[in-house]
Amino acid sequence: MTPSKKSRWQVFFKGGRWLAGISLLLPLLIWQGVALWGGQPAFLLPSPWQVVLRFGDVLANGSLLYHTGFTLLEVLLGLALGSGLATVTGYALARSPLLERLLSPYLVASQAVPVVAIAPLLVIWFGPGLFSKVLVCALIVFFPVLVNTVVGVRAVPQNLRDLMHTLRASPFQVLRQLEIPAALPVLLGGLRIGATLSVIGAVVGEFVGADRGLGFLVNVGRGRYDTALVFVAILTLVALALLLYGGVVLVEKRLLRWEK
Amino acid sequence: MKRFALLFCLLLVACGPQPAAPTPSRATASTTQAVVNIRLPVGYIPNIQFAPLYVAMEKGYYRQAGLEVTLDYSQETDGVALVGANNLQFSVASGEQVLLARAQGLPVSYVLAWYQQFPVGVVAGTQQGIRTPADLKGKQIGIPGLYGASYIGFRALLDAAGLKESDVILDSIGYNQVEALLAGREQAAVIYTTNEPIQLQARGFAVDVVRVSDVLQLVGNGLITNETTQKEKPELVRRMVQATLQGIQTALANPAEAYEISKKYVEGLAADDPVVQKQILAASMDLWKAPKPGYSDPKAWENMQGILIKMQLLKGPLDLSQAYSNAFLP
Repeated sequence: MTPSKKSRWQVFFKGGRWLAGISLLLPLLIWQGVALWGGQPAFLLPSPWQVVLRFGDVLANGSLLYHTGFTLLEVLLGLALGSGLATVTGYALARSPLLERLLSPYLVASQAVPVVAIAPLLVIWFGPGLFSKVLVCALIVFFPVLVNTVVGVRAVPQNLRDLMHTLRASPFQVLRQLEIPAALPVLLGGLRIGATLSVIGAVVGEFVGADRGLGFLVNVGRGRYDTALVFVAILTLVALALLLYGGVVLVEKRLLRWEK
Repeated sequence: MKRFALLFCLLLVACGPQPAAPTPSRATASTTQAVVNIRLPVGYIPNIQFAPLYVAMEKGYYRQAGLEVTLDYSQETDGVALVGANNLQFSVASGEQVLLARAQGLPVSYVLAWYQQFPVGVVAGTQQGIRTPADLKGKQIGIPGLYGASYIGFRALLDAAGLKESDVILDSIGYNQVEALLAGREQAAVIYTTNEPIQLQARGFAVDVVRVSDVLQLVGNGLITNETTQKEKPELVRRMVQATLQGIQTALANPAEAYEISKKYVEGLAADDPVVQKQILAASMDLWKAPKPGYSDPKAWENMQGILIKMQLLKGPLDLSQAYSNAFLP
């Protein structure tokens, strides 16, 4: 074995990277074991292989991509709307304690109201189409991004603000050259949370009334006792959430290169 | 130390065996059979439409049969899955759920036909001119979802008129049919004929209703069990069926009493408009009446299977003799 190959193996085992593989494989093996020997019928707990076969069916007939595309559209629009509004509102609250005192009760209430309870009202008010689903999604994303924006902007050191003031920087220059770079790490942290929650929002909206999307697919699976289909939809939702989270991490790495 | 010992003794007393609850003064179970606890999922929130069950519980029919029944208001599909897994013995479910479940290997069986007519229909304002299934063509129609009894009943209506789903505009609106029609968002909505039309008329909205039961006999809500319970505990099934049937018959004979009993079990019923609620109960009772109470009609089962096959929800015919039974009726 060449010295470079040996060190790569050493890195793999010593670094504990093999544990990541085990952590993925072990739950699958446990699941397969429970499905085979647990005495549970397939309609209650299908095996991983049955789920894989069902996955192949819905992928081959195009319905999985169709429904995933629709949910992804809701998620992206909801994330854009929710995080956009939250960032603007968060900045305003961070700069104005009076505004924060006035709006805080309503903002906290927006988080306290269970989305699953308000989703039917949104469908009644705004109809069963895309808009109500985007609203549900935006609602669930709003609060974590808002809080992180407020915290991030308020964490800007006062001495740096004083320095910008001394240099006679305009408010726009202070925003662009101080507040945004300083608040970005915390803001992006909120966006990571928002990105994964946005998937929940889209599904809640689809549960209430939809004829497409992964949430709709879950309902169809339940209605036909096709539990393997329910698993396919859930695992696709998980993959979607991981993809969005990964996307935010990549954006974070790009925008925060200067930190390193 | 003394204080600690006293506290310890008090805790032991508090955690000790509790005195048995006094037995109710109403009709009690026969002393020759052990009381069986039955959790019965009914598939919807507490509602006047479950009056026969409330009557059977209140008048002690279940208790006389050696059954202690508690109602479970979880989703219909969950109840069917639990019965299929033999985690529960009974559930209330619509006929199509039995066939869909059996197609996926759930060994459930329908043992009492509570609803003798399928309760699904389409309601529209009179100005829409929707009076027959053929009038649905080109209309914008709200539906709770593209699954369940509502969807299957709606497809039966379309089929009766030779229409396809693409001939109408379907919107999945959840259980917001009344609001959607009042707001003018939909031209028509798929509903339970015993509920939403009455709610709309109470709000001054004149309606026409197209009923599935007018075009095709399908299998409505009834009592289901599983094959294991049927084989190993047929007497239990018989007692449950006959006590439930007694509740249905008593409610049919005394609707006013059934309404009053239901007030104890349906939160808010006492405060609701009694005229509307009694109309809902009366409309429901029209669907329960039968020359042979509880009897499952083989033709209705064949029709249901036929619709499900046309919708491609079933790949082919099932053994219907296993799907339902009239053997437990009196």
